[in-house]
Amino acid sequence: MNSLLEFLSLSDPNVRMVVWGTTLLGASAGLVGVFTLLRKRALLGDAVAHSILPGVCLAFLVGHSKAPYVLLLGALVAGWLSLLSIDFLVRRTKLKADSVIGLVLSVFFGLGIWLLTSIQQSGVASQSGLDKFLFGKAASITSQDVSMFGWVVLAVVVILLLFYKGFKVLAFDEDYARAIGMPVRLLEFLLSTITVLSIAVGIQAVGVVLMASLLIAPAAAARFWTDRLSVMLLLAVGMGILAAWAGAFISFTAPSMPTGPWIVLALAALTVFSMLWAPRRGVLGRWLRQWRYARKIALENVKCIEDLVPTGRLDLKRRICRHRRKIRLFK
Amino acid sequence: MDAIWIILTGTLVALCCGLLGSFLVLRQMAMVGDAISHAVLPGIVIAFLLAESRDSLPMLIGAAAVGVLVTVLIEWLHRVGRMQADASIGISYTTLFAIGIILISYFTRQVDLDQDCVLYGEIAYVPLDTWILSNGTSLGPRAVWILGGALLLILTFIGMGYKGLQLTTFDASYAATLGISTVFWHYALMSTVSLATVVSFESVGAILVVAFLIVPPATAYLLTDRLPVMLGLSALFGFLSAVLGYGLAVATNGSVAGAMAVAAGFWFILALGIHFIKKRLHAFPARRKLPESYI
Amino acid sequence: MCTKIFLSSGLFALLVVGCQAPAAEESTSRLRIVCTTGMIADAVANVVGPDVMVTALMGPGVDPHLYKASQGDLQQLSQADLIFYNGLHLEGKMVEILEKIGSTKSVIAVSDGISRDRILKLTHLGDTNDPHIWFDVSIWADVVAYIGANLEKLDTLHAADYAQRTAAYRDSLHQLHEWVRQELSTVPPAQRVLITAHDAFSYFGKAYEVEVRGLQGISTVSEYGLKDVSDLVEFISGRKINAVFVETSVPAKPLEAVVEGCAQRGHEVVIGGTLYSDAMGQAGTPEGDYLGMVRANVRTIVNALKGIDHANVSH
Repeated sequence: MNSLLEFLSLSDPNVRMVVWGTTLLGASAGLVGVFTLLRKRALLGDAVAHSILPGVCLAFLVGHSKAPYVLLLGALVAGWLSLLSIDFLVRRTKLKADSVIGLVLSVFFGLGIWLLTSIQQSGVASQSGLDKFLFGKAASITSQDVSMFGWVVLAVVVILLLFYKGFKVLAFDEDYARAIGMPVRLLEFLLSTITVLSIAVGIQAVGVVLMASLLIAPAAAARFWTDRLSVMLLLAVGMGILAAWAGAFISFTAPSMPTGPWIVLALAALTVFSMLWAPRRGVLGRWLRQWRYARKIALENVKCIEDLVPTGRLDLKRRICRHRRKIRLFK
Repeated sequence: MDAIWIILTGTLVALCCGLLGSFLVLRQMAMVGDAISHAVLPGIVIAFLLAESRDSLPMLIGAAAVGVLVTVLIEWLHRVGRMQADASIGISYTTLFAIGIILISYFTRQVDLDQDCVLYGEIAYVPLDTWILSNGTSLGPRAVWILGGALLLILTFIGMGYKGLQLTTFDASYAATLGISTVFWHYALMSTVSLATVVSFESVGAILVVAFLIVPPATAYLLTDRLPVMLGLSALFGFLSAVLGYGLAVATNGSVAGAMAVAAGFWFILALGIHFIKKRLHAFPARRKLPESYI
Repeated sequence: MCTKIFLSSGLFALLVVGCQAPAAEESTSRLRIVCTTGMIADAVANVVGPDVMVTALMGPGVDPHLYKASQGDLQQLSQADLIFYNGLHLEGKMVEILEKIGSTKSVIAVSDGISRDRILKLTHLGDTNDPHIWFDVSIWADVVAYIGANLEKLDTLHAADYAQRTAAYRDSLHQLHEWVRQELSTVPPAQRVLITAHDAFSYFGKAYEVEVRGLQGISTVSEYGLKDVSDLVEFISGRKINAVFVETSVPAKPLEAVVEGCAQRGHEVVIGGTLYSDAMGQAGTPEGDYLGMVRANVRTIVNALKGIDHANVSH
């Protein structure tokens, strides 16, 4: 209880930075994630996380530095290129989004590893740890990250508000959007840009797994509760933030409780909860409806048979009554 | 000789992955390989905690067990929970990976334990890791034997289950009317995939396996719509990627697996070019013919 | 037709590759020695002298985690007459391959030269020891002796030469050991705390009576939580420690969060500099060999803990 109060008071500076940072990140990832999910590209987070490696290597080769800004710039460019190639391939070939994502991911990552081995032979000592430098961990969010996330959230919200209608049509029916003359490629381009921006900035602060999960889980969970885009966006943001607070709190209660992975587990729990309990699309709701329907049909059948029975046959009537009771009790 | 062993190993991986990957690409489950490569972490940790050793065998068993578990989880979320396929893949693997990190941070933070240092093999070192009998005769690289065995199993599986796999992949409802169980074939395929990928990870590392599961089949799918042709073409592109990739690695003294993945990308771009040219050639006569048919 | 062209081009590539392979570098040296890490290569080079070619698979700046095998490494290993590696699972899965090669040629784990009781156990689980043996200079001197003894056995022709060099190099290591001890003793005991991002410095701490604290375990995938960061911040502010240290191979981010947390609690702690942990510095610079690397690390630590040199924060 004490630790809960201490946590909620946000008096510890690191708690403050982590909580605000993951809150902002949860918001931007939730918003962007809804669109990636609806466009069947939920695994984009993973794709970007792998695709940035060649960018990081090239940035190091050109800039001769491991400074976060140099590497982040390379990462942004490579991640952005990977998203553009994914968009291009999905649009122009019969390949499905998941194959295209996997294809771009593995080729970019292979290129990155290949570059990494050639950097290894360069004998430049400052390369040390290059492949890990861009991946942060959620417990060490700094105030600089928090302000960066703030800007990203702002950019995402502004662009979403400006182009909301277009994004909505794009997310649900790309062909229709094209048919009514919407600038599909411009919209796609904008969406990819804000996506890669939030993913890359997130990865350097909290690492790959949490980022991938923040992108997928809140959107997937929100999808169970509603069919409306605006509600889904708000729900996704809410769930991302809720999980971020829960995970951060768990990792504050005891040592050696990693913050990022606990947020991932909180997200998973929220998703499974939504999957089971959401009234219309949830599993339990669906079973309940199926059961009620089956019962209704069974009772109606009994009624039909009852109507056919001649008035004198009390024995048959009694049997039908028994049968109906059985349905009411057990079915 | 080393070159031939490496190319042979690469080709065996390409054949295993290309055959299975074709079905995955068609079933929109292409990212399963990548998901497994992340998700095996808790399996490794639990195997280490139980066996108290970082030897390959316990690691392999733990990884394979979780590899199968993740496919079951994906299918459960997808089928029972009605979750979108890519989201169920994403949620399953991030959750398992997070559990792995929590286990490591809590129990074994002082032990160097991750896929890279205890599970993944390195294709460049395949010729050195020979299978030596007790009397001292060397039978060639261990990886070639293991992957050869895996390939045989996969060929038997596909050969025996071709009909079921094909029907459940292309037309699940038609398969159901014939009394073919979609669920059974799904699990059969997925468990084969997870076992094959985990075994291949141990021999040659993850990058190569993930790349060969997706890129050659996607390349083949660009060029054909017929399943047997697609299987053959993806095997061919896999082989070509292994050869070209090895050449690239030698020329630049770089990572063999990385270069093979890049080579696979090269063949894909080539096929993409052919695909676009073909489209254009088909488009023009059609446009010219159109008015005649209307007259 | 298409297939035929593809196949023949494949065969052609095979031929080209096959012809290239044997034409690799011809060396005139007596022995060809390959080592896994730069530190071991440096020790071996000091024992064998300039006439023998010693190569490290992991060059400057390449730590065992970053290392990815390239095509040429296979040739290095298969053409080597003698291979030295660290052992204690530093090389991970590669050890299995090294042991396989060991059945046909001499492959030596240098950590075998250390008496078992000096090796730090990490957990009670199985065979898990701390592989970062090079941080204790006296242990490294034992390693050098072991390398020397092995070389004397294997290359009897030059045994006397090796013995002399080994003895000379061990002397300089012993001197270095004393120097490190002296330098660190100038830091007041309450301030003698080495805080880094990951737990690599246990041997250093034990040998030179320095309290060692890391945020992250040895495993690179292990992750610290909010409580760990918060506890460390409290520890630093409570003990009024002057500096924390970044490692070349580990991102500075976790420590930046710690520094900021301390600052917001009203205690100013600085990043005292960058330490070489898993790999040595640029070849040709003072930090490019083992002696220079240890000296650089110790100077950074001592100056920062005493609060002398705050300018050295670049990384």
